[in-house]
Amino acid sequence: MKRFLILTVLFFVALGVGAQVTGKVTDAAGQALPGVSVYVKGTSAGAVTDLDGNYKLSSKEGTLVFNYTGFSSQEIPIDGRQTINVTLLEASTNLNDLVVVGYGVQKKSVVTGAISSIQSGDLKNAPITRLEDALKGRTSGVVVASGSGQPGAASSVIIRGITSINNSVPLYVVDGVPINENGIDFLNQADIESIEILKDAASAAIYGTKAASGVILVTTKKGKSGALKVNFNSYLASQTAANKLDLLNARDYALLRNESAEAGGQPVPYPNADQLGEGTDWQSAIFNDNALMQNHDLSFSGGNDKSTYYASFGYYSQDGIVATDISNYQRFTARVNSDHKVKSWLRFGQTLSYAHVRSQGNFDPNGSYGGPLSSAINLAPVIPLLVEDPTELSTNPLYANNLSRLIKDENGNYYALPAAGFQEMTNPLAYIQTQQGNYGWSDAATGNAYLEIEPVRHLRLRSVIGAKLSFWGNEGFSPVYFLSSTVNTTLTNYNRALNRGLDWIWTNTASYDLTRGKHNATILLGIEGQDRVGRGVGGGFTNLPVNDFQSASLNYQLPTENRIAYGYENQPYRLNALFSRLNYDYAGKYLLTAIVRRDGSSHFGSNNVYGVFPSVSVGWLPHLESFWRENKVLNTLKIRVGYGVTGNDNLAPFQYVSTIGGIGSYIFGQDQITIGYGPSAPANQDLRWEQTAQINIGFDGILFNDFTFSFDLFKKNTTGMLMQIKQPFYTGASSDPWGNVASLENKGLELDLGYRKQLNQVNLSVKTNVSYVRNEVLDMGPTDFLVNATFQSSAYEISRKMVGMPVNSFFGFLSDGVFQSQADIARHNNDAGFPLQPDAKPGDLRWVDVNGDGVINSNDRTYLGDPTPHWTFGLSLAANWKQFDISVFGQGVAGNKIFQGLRRLDIPNANYTSEALGRWHGEGTSTDFPRLVDGDPNGNFTRPSNFYLEDGSYFRIKSVQLGFTMPKTWLQRAEIENLRIYLSGTNLLTFTKYTGFDPEIGGGAGTYGIDRGVYPQARAMMVGANLTF
Amino acid sequence: MKKISILFLLALVVVASCTKDFLQTDPKGLVLETNYYRTRDEVFAGLVAVYNRLSVEAGGGDNTYSNKLGPLNAAADECWAGGANSTDMVFWQVWNNYTLSGAVGPQASFWKIDYEGIYRANLLLQKIQGDIPDLPSGERARFTAEAKFLRAYYYFELVRLFRNVPLITEPLSQEQIYEQVQAAPEAVYAQIEKDLNEAIPDLPNLVAPADNGRVTKGAAMALLGKTILFQNNEARMGEAASWFDKVNSSPQYSLVPNFADVFSPLNEFNSESVFEIQHSAAQIAGWWAWGNFMGNVYVHMTGPRSYNGPLYESGWSFNPIIPAFVNSIRTDPRYRHTVANIDSLKAAGQATYAPAYQNTGFFVKKFAPLKQFKAPDGEPALNYPNNFIEIRLADTYLMEAEALLRAGGDASKAQTRLNQVRARVGLAPVPVTLDRIYEERRLELATEGHRWFDLVRTGKAAATLAFKGFKAGTHEVLPIPLNELNNTKLVQNPGYN
Repeated sequence: MKRFLILTVLFFVALGVGAQVTGKVTDAAGQALPGVSVYVKGTSAGAVTDLDGNYKLSSKEGTLVFNYTGFSSQEIPIDGRQTINVTLLEASTNLNDLVVVGYGVQKKSVVTGAISSIQSGDLKNAPITRLEDALKGRTSGVVVASGSGQPGAASSVIIRGITSINNSVPLYVVDGVPINENGIDFLNQADIESIEILKDAASAAIYGTKAASGVILVTTKKGKSGALKVNFNSYLASQTAANKLDLLNARDYALLRNESAEAGGQPVPYPNADQLGEGTDWQSAIFNDNALMQNHDLSFSGGNDKSTYYASFGYYSQDGIVATDISNYQRFTARVNSDHKVKSWLRFGQTLSYAHVRSQGNFDPNGSYGGPLSSAINLAPVIPLLVEDPTELSTNPLYANNLSRLIKDENGNYYALPAAGFQEMTNPLAYIQTQQGNYGWSDAATGNAYLEIEPVRHLRLRSVIGAKLSFWGNEGFSPVYFLSSTVNTTLTNYNRALNRGLDWIWTNTASYDLTRGKHNATILLGIEGQDRVGRGVGGGFTNLPVNDFQSASLNYQLPTENRIAYGYENQPYRLNALFSRLNYDYAGKYLLTAIVRRDGSSHFGSNNVYGVFPSVSVGWLPHLESFWRENKVLNTLKIRVGYGVTGNDNLAPFQYVSTIGGIGSYIFGQDQITIGYGPSAPANQDLRWEQTAQINIGFDGILFNDFTFSFDLFKKNTTGMLMQIKQPFYTGASSDPWGNVASLENKGLELDLGYRKQLNQVNLSVKTNVSYVRNEVLDMGPTDFLVNATFQSSAYEISRKMVGMPVNSFFGFLSDGVFQSQADIARHNNDAGFPLQPDAKPGDLRWVDVNGDGVINSNDRTYLGDPTPHWTFGLSLAANWKQFDISVFGQGVAGNKIFQGLRRLDIPNANYTSEALGRWHGEGTSTDFPRLVDGDPNGNFTRPSNFYLEDGSYFRIKSVQLGFTMPKTWLQRAEIENLRIYLSGTNLLTFTKYTGFDPEIGGGAGTYGIDRGVYPQARAMMVGANLTF
Repeated sequence: MKKISILFLLALVVVASCTKDFLQTDPKGLVLETNYYRTRDEVFAGLVAVYNRLSVEAGGGDNTYSNKLGPLNAAADECWAGGANSTDMVFWQVWNNYTLSGAVGPQASFWKIDYEGIYRANLLLQKIQGDIPDLPSGERARFTAEAKFLRAYYYFELVRLFRNVPLITEPLSQEQIYEQVQAAPEAVYAQIEKDLNEAIPDLPNLVAPADNGRVTKGAAMALLGKTILFQNNEARMGEAASWFDKVNSSPQYSLVPNFADVFSPLNEFNSESVFEIQHSAAQIAGWWAWGNFMGNVYVHMTGPRSYNGPLYESGWSFNPIIPAFVNSIRTDPRYRHTVANIDSLKAAGQATYAPAYQNTGFFVKKFAPLKQFKAPDGEPALNYPNNFIEIRLADTYLMEAEALLRAGGDASKAQTRLNQVRARVGLAPVPVTLDRIYEERRLELATEGHRWFDLVRTGKAAATLAFKGFKAGTHEVLPIPLNELNNTKLVQNPGYN
């Protein structure tokens, strides 16, 4: 084909028809591109660039089309010009890109595993506090959900479904150092060069016993040889809540409370309901509509052919949109990375980062039991913010008896107290006063140093020592306060904690590259040791003679009994590994990767100290075959198939042995309590890692020259999941031993599509991804299920890990409507003609006799939905035209349910959301929201049921950014290389049917998808600048 | 350069070869079972853990209240289950009305607690054979004897409650767990007798006051007599009588002159106490101590609900006494120490209370929550100090009399024992017969957890408890806890499938 084109071109050139157009085609780096086909659209006139990238074509008008495999095609009108130089942009997947694969890199074209990459360019200027945010929506197969909108809050990351009933947190490795997911916020996003996600076992097996839930590899930036380059990036943002709840005002609240009390046979609490107005808007009391967020980072990089360096400083701070005074986050980071080539055969280098974090967030951002959010949701709007009638202070015993402990605002006004019966709910503004000053902090130094020698050509020996040394703690003061009859204290308390952790890892590898003709192979051998230690001390002083955080000090001389200290050492944890990998390809066409890793873990019993994790994957690039017919539809294709086994050793240490503990005391003599000791649980020397086997089939390629695609199908089976095995009581053990029993399965598919095109002067790039995963628990050993999450005082758990259902599924009663009349209730019969709910009243929920046994009882509970999304998708659009650029990024999930549990069950006086206005209150008034009745005899609210579940699907415009780059001519005088300013918005629009604050509710298994009043994410409007010298 | 690479490879080999040591980590602040039981104090702490299962007030297989008196009294013709409503302590309710099933009943509580005691005893008996340099041989023998007594006690509870139970005398290995089958009751009784016979020589006659609560020779002899008696083998009744006699004629025991004093927390380990289970307020328990309460929660459970009046504290209204029983004891001097007639207090205008489920107005007096013993600290409901005398002298007197009659032995001695019990409360002698002895047991030992066992072992349960729904052939024993049948070789007791 190419040959034919060349002939054609020569033919035309020979004819010398018409005027000539010449030019040079280069890539973005300015390198000449030979072999690019150039033709005039709609004609047969065409040419191919020569070795120097030059072309020559005879045409005066029309549009030139430039086509080159792996690059986006471009169309440029000739407009009578004689010279048209063109820069072609690489298609969004460049086949020659290097991909980090763990203990090395590989050319993307020969990778056989399922690895997703996120490059620094993808994340540019996105406000990313933690690494997890960078993964959200950017690539297929990864579900990221924020735990809350609390500044600095972690997000849960699930790669290819929940891998285990125990722990599905992926392994994070930053520059070769494994990092605990909680500490991952030491990374400054501006320092990240690339993120690779090893999704399938064929690629993750190189991380063996910790890789079952996927591996996230982070590589930080390195300097490039050349002159010093200074980058400065900065943004300022104003944040506000994207959404607030529609809670009832005082009048509506009183009307509903009256209705509920009356129905329950109680006296009406608000006879004058109609005269009540708006009342207190507790939400607006705690929400901040102009919370500040800012980020500034400065980096220097450069070097020569011997040494390169990269250094950076970053400062990030975010005020929370809820109770800002006690909800905020600040981080300072610094980094130095360098690489040195001492001799042709000797290299060394290092990375080192330091991060200091200081944060406030002394309340549960998704909890039912007090704190500003849950109080604002549940407190009655009839309660005033401040004491309005001063005589109340002396007449109301609640105030009069506790006057000295009441909290006042800055003007000396007393905050009002909630009436009795509001349990842990407190006036949120008063609560905030009691938490002033309390904070948590951390200091972490993370880095590594390597030495690499090449004793003979193609053999590289590399030794890397990496470590993370971190210190963290907190400091808090609790004044004397009286917030309610439930929440109060008479003693001041001042506490401090200091913890220290050191993780180190030493990796030694040898790799050998071998090329014989068209055979290429790389063999890697490695050995690795890891150790983790941690310890801490803390203490509390009570009864300090001061009453605020600022004045508190440990220097006060207090009686010994008022000074309580504690401490701990973590149990030792060590890992030791031998690993090997073979990468082989024949002419870049037939590919093979084989991995085997043997891990020894101190977590496991003497019978199973070592685990072996093998994987093999193969690939084929048919477009390189001679029989491949070049076509305009499918330009390139790679087919990948892989299988591998990975493990999970996430278990408390020493579960394989039987340990001695206090298992019950007995009295001897007169009141002499004597502690009895004995084994807690029997030993299980067979205890071993959980094992996950995964098969993956994938296809990558380029379509229509401008589209890249990547499609993967996978199935993974986790077996031998660790759980406590319930033993017969007659064994007599105090608790059950851990064993490898349960199993589950994840199946799914993933599609990533990219499009990149230059249209006239507009560069357009689109990336989308869609994934689907289905999870099912296959076996729970001798147990039918494990309780996953409970909800307040509800009589039954709300979710389970149960055979045949997705892990952590919602479980409860099924209602198919609301009884409209007594006749309706009489019609709800079992087969024998007896009413199923004889005690129900019109307006109550109609329960389904799921098991058909003729009675409604706990056996009628059933699967109600899955909190984990089945579908995830992401879309990013970027375009630039002249000096302007715009980017839009959206992401979403579908197929999940959210448990909307905002209201306290045991506080009849709690406020309602406006949905309650649509309750049943007479025949035909509602078919889904039951009547309100104190005592709730039908369990409409106390029974977990599908009434609480809502569709959790959403699509969110995560960010929109509009930028303007100053023309170079403006900047030359100031010797500024580049200056760009931008406006940006995050969380601008969320499409969802969910009625709570925010449909994105991450967290651990017992929290995921359960809304107890989650701290919503902020909407931010920001302005920023990027400056390069 | 070559040297460097050789060194490097050498380093690799060295690192690789010391991996085993690298992975050997020792736990910090954790004691392994394999390193324990090496000193006298460690062995004693192991023994305390065996004792611990005697006084479990909450926990057990259903993780609910697990004092055994409540359900036993509810099962007999002395008390109803009571409580707040018909589902309050449902396991008592279903024994009260004999709607027991494998899934619902008090069995899991009893079963789990007793087997935990057995496991701890088995483990201790195994470990105590190891090398424990600072354990004097005398104490080694005594600890062994105590563990054997306690194992016998737990098995005695199991065999008379369930009849068909696995007989396990050593800690089970993982392979053995699911291989266990139920033993013949005779084999279980034989093991109990063997343990007791071996224990008796090494147990002390008396313990120092600081050791009160630890097992004595008398307790073991009484339990052995009881074990033989419960096997209903008339040929061995003489044997049983002689064991009881060893206790009854021992000068260290005598009936407490004042009947009421037997049950007073001020009078613990009195001369009538043969085997006493300890409780105390010293723990200052709150709900945090769930599963490990040291107080006697049953005491609080028997109190009248929302009570406001003299003498008593409020409680949860469990075990109201059945009027028929009240009638049969009303004229007996023991009546006012056995029945708390709250209704009469109420009628007299001295007290108010909230009548609860199955209320009769009559409450258990022997274990009533007296104001006097309300704990000043901690959660009062959980801190009543009342001990429970599992075996007391009046019981062994009457058992001796019964055994003598059934053996055809010394009837005059039987008469004396009966007379002694009656004389203590000022009752005149009556001619001794088996029926008279059983009636005396009913009145003397009321609400002390003996009645139901007596009815069953004498074959009178079906007739006497018919009004509660007792079915002969089934309800003489409890069902095996349903979950125990999963994956095991156990079979359910007849009538419970």
